[in-house]
Amino acid sequence: MSKGEHAEGAPDPLIQRALELRGGEDREDRTRHRPRFGAMSTSLLNELMTDHLDGGYSAAAHRQKDESPRGRRKATALLAVGLLLLGFVLAASYRGTMRQAPDSERTRQALVRDVQDGSALTDSLQRRAEALSTQLTRERDAALAASRAGDRAGAEVRRLEEAAAQRAVHGPGITVTVGDASGGDRVDPGTGQRVPTPVDDNGRIRDRDLQALVNALWAAGAEAISIGGQRLAPTTTIRAAGEAILVDLRPVQSPYGIEAVGDPATLLPRFADSEAARRFQSYTGLYGIQFSVRAADDVRLRAATDPDLRYASPVPAPTTVSPSTSGSAGSSGSPGGSGSSPAPKPAGSSGGGP
Amino acid sequence: MIPALALAVGVVLGLLFEPVVPLWLQPYLPIAVVAALDAVFGGIRARLDGIFDSKVFVVSFVSNVLVAALIVFLGDKLGVGAQLSTGVVVVLGIRIFGNAAAIRRHLFRA
Repeated sequence: MSKGEHAEGAPDPLIQRALELRGGEDREDRTRHRPRFGAMSTSLLNELMTDHLDGGYSAAAHRQKDESPRGRRKATALLAVGLLLLGFVLAASYRGTMRQAPDSERTRQALVRDVQDGSALTDSLQRRAEALSTQLTRERDAALAASRAGDRAGAEVRRLEEAAAQRAVHGPGITVTVGDASGGDRVDPGTGQRVPTPVDDNGRIRDRDLQALVNALWAAGAEAISIGGQRLAPTTTIRAAGEAILVDLRPVQSPYGIEAVGDPATLLPRFADSEAARRFQSYTGLYGIQFSVRAADDVRLRAATDPDLRYASPVPAPTTVSPSTSGSAGSSGSPGGSGSSPAPKPAGSSGGGP
Repeated sequence: MIPALALAVGVVLGLLFEPVVPLWLQPYLPIAVVAALDAVFGGIRARLDGIFDSKVFVVSFVSNVLVAALIVFLGDKLGVGAQLSTGVVVVLGIRIFGNAAAIRRHLFRA
């Protein structure tokens, strides 16, 4: 087509002559981009690439137009209806997209809320259990203090409880903060909201990282440790479930605050000199994780959760008891009765096994 | 003036009523929107070319939307829905760009 135009504009008599030889009709067709039937496949592509305008417009322009006021009104009304429809389609589609895109986000938020509600509930129950256990300890100590044998037994119980992290403790120590490398924000194209991008896998703290740090702290002489407020008892696990880290089966979140009670004069330098701490120090530069160690004057650690006794049941209270402790023996009779109730549980689970 | 008002009213209606797009229609909505945009660009270009005709515009708009949706619907039934969607988007996209280029030439003489 451009060649034809150029040829038409050119004064070259040879080309003029050639065009004349090819026939006027054909030339007329080419200048109006009408595809020839002989070359359908290429003309289709040609049309696609060159004829963007709907053919109806030029056809309508050639037709006799209704220029009366009534005809014009009709055309305007038609156009108005069409544009109304158009606006409606665009807005509906926009609304649909907006409603759809946040749908998944809303579900996620609802799930997050559920999880938060659940952990708030367990937190309050945990606090209640702690308060009750403190009360129990106090009452028991008071009851045991009545006799010398009881006093000895009480001291033994306290020693064992401290070893099993069943008592809240406080004292000087260090806090270690370790956290995932921070990812940036991404703007969601649909909703225009900021969405945090997931952290690069290398910059994510794993359960074995926390295990290594905790082991280094124990090795450095820590007497009691908690991670994210979860006290570590001898049976506490630090493990991963998917991308979450569970300490004693409760999720903890980055940044993880590890608090340890111990002599700061030896604990801090020994821990800082440990292989794990040096490794994490180098990770801060390599992967951008957070890692800091500080001495603290007074670290308060909660008691760990009571271990669930699944197979063990308390020994029945001795029948020969002094009159002063018979009251407590009687009160311990009901825990004994409730203590015997877990006994069918393993039996039931073993029955369900085979 | 009236057409512009009608467009605004259409947008407001669409936003206000929050029409619930039925689930079976949802796959065709994006294609319908692309077809509608094609009709709009064609209309603007025709107006600049001085050959705009409201009947052609409305008919091309409605038929574009319907045909695009129908093609994708058929494709879905025949198992080539995704490919046909791509095809429709490519063809309409080329047309939209061509018309946009013509509009640009009209407006900026460049």
